[in-house]
Amino acid sequence: MSYSIPIGPYHPALEEPYKLELECDGEIVSDAVMHLGFNFRGIEYLAERRNYLQGITLVERVCGICSNVHSLSYCQAVEQLTGIEPPERALYIRVVLSELERLHSHFLWSGTAAKLIGFKTVFMACFTLREKVMDVLSAISGNRVNYGMNCIGGVNRDIADPLAVLSILDELESAVTRTILPIFLNDRAVESRCKGIGILTKEQAIAMGAVGPLARASGISQDIRVAAPYCAYDRFEFNVPVETSGDVRARLIVHGLEMVESCRILRQALRALPAGPVHTPTPAGARYKVPTGTAISRAEAPRGEVLYQISSNGTDIPERVRVRTPTFMNMATVRLALLGQQLSDSPLIQASCDPCYSCTDR
Amino acid sequence: MNTAPDNFVQSLQESGLGGDWEWQHGSWWRTPETMDVRATAARLISLGARFVAITSTERPDHEIRLDYQWDLNGQLLSFITATAEKRIASITDLCPAADWVERETHEYFAIDYTGRETTRSLMTRDGDRIGINLHKEAVK
Repeated sequence: MSYSIPIGPYHPALEEPYKLELECDGEIVSDAVMHLGFNFRGIEYLAERRNYLQGITLVERVCGICSNVHSLSYCQAVEQLTGIEPPERALYIRVVLSELERLHSHFLWSGTAAKLIGFKTVFMACFTLREKVMDVLSAISGNRVNYGMNCIGGVNRDIADPLAVLSILDELESAVTRTILPIFLNDRAVESRCKGIGILTKEQAIAMGAVGPLARASGISQDIRVAAPYCAYDRFEFNVPVETSGDVRARLIVHGLEMVESCRILRQALRALPAGPVHTPTPAGARYKVPTGTAISRAEAPRGEVLYQISSNGTDIPERVRVRTPTFMNMATVRLALLGQQLSDSPLIQASCDPCYSCTDR
Repeated sequence: MNTAPDNFVQSLQESGLGGDWEWQHGSWWRTPETMDVRATAARLISLGARFVAITSTERPDHEIRLDYQWDLNGQLLSFITATAEKRIASITDLCPAADWVERETHEYFAIDYTGRETTRSLMTRDGDRIGINLHKEAVK
């Protein structure tokens, strides 16, 4: 028997509003149609009506999880247009913020996945660990969501005691390697819920332009931190975890291993934090003009490549601000991952691409 | 940061992507600023490039500039084209990754992508006005 199941856009089970229309033959998903835009705030349009400094505050609100990567990408694009080079210490601090952001985002995702698997103890453990990262971010920036750290030419605040952050990294890495990853890798209940479920093949991932951990769980090794290094990423040694099975289990493993690598990067950055200023002085006042031209900045957000294209017409207001978020590319793959799967697995399969609709809708 | 090997431009030209290439502000830009979007897409796909984005910009004369971005082995390639009629060939049949981007660009900038079977609403709802990101004077 065939039937349609409309889910959303406003539904108790959805973290953010979106709409999914599932077509099912019995318990098997035969098609899925997605509707977005319920979080649309017109951020690109608004950014083209504010000066460059106001734009930083605006784009940081694209996402409530990876807010830092948006202001970072925006500032990097403006720095390319203006020729302003941030000092070394600022580049390292940007890496620290980016990796802390990746950690808390991956803890959030791992916890959410565990909850959908039915493993609520791991959900609680992940959110407890995430809270520790949030405390560090709060101690550094004074904020938990919109950190306000990036400015054109560097960062707004220094890290007063970088070595104090190191101790928390040991605790986080230990929890990931001794508790979370072994459960993701070896627990039979997790395996039965995730292995062979929601497969996105490498060919499908390439065709759909998938990015980030989702793509890396399907055998695509690209990570912008390595492929097109920015900030100070070319100074650090780290691995890019890649799995080839393309299923939910592979996504769990990639996220877990990426957290270990983030701890590794953070240790290197915090120990080698160069002395010096944290920002390069920019022209006085908020309404300084940016030379005519177009710049593109890419960064590896927790969910994958984010791209900012900023065009200047020589005034103090950008002519165009384009934001292409990772979920915008990744979410379209969910239909492929859902086809032929059990209806009861569809929440986990959707969540396993780590969607952020706020980012996607902008 | 430009991380391309020394012979990268030569390899692009030998790959059939033609034109002159210049690294500027985070991307390789191809000149002249015209291209056959479908032939270029087909060539890039055959080279293993990953579709990244289409960026639409409304120029002061209301012509729409379209920048197609592709990633080739970590290098970002940008191809510029423009349309005064707000009409351009779709590449979705060649590159499924472009589907959502074309639908979004249609809704925000009223671009008509020819060759598509349908252009279903993505961000807006059926019946909503298209071109919502166009400057006000253009949609009066």
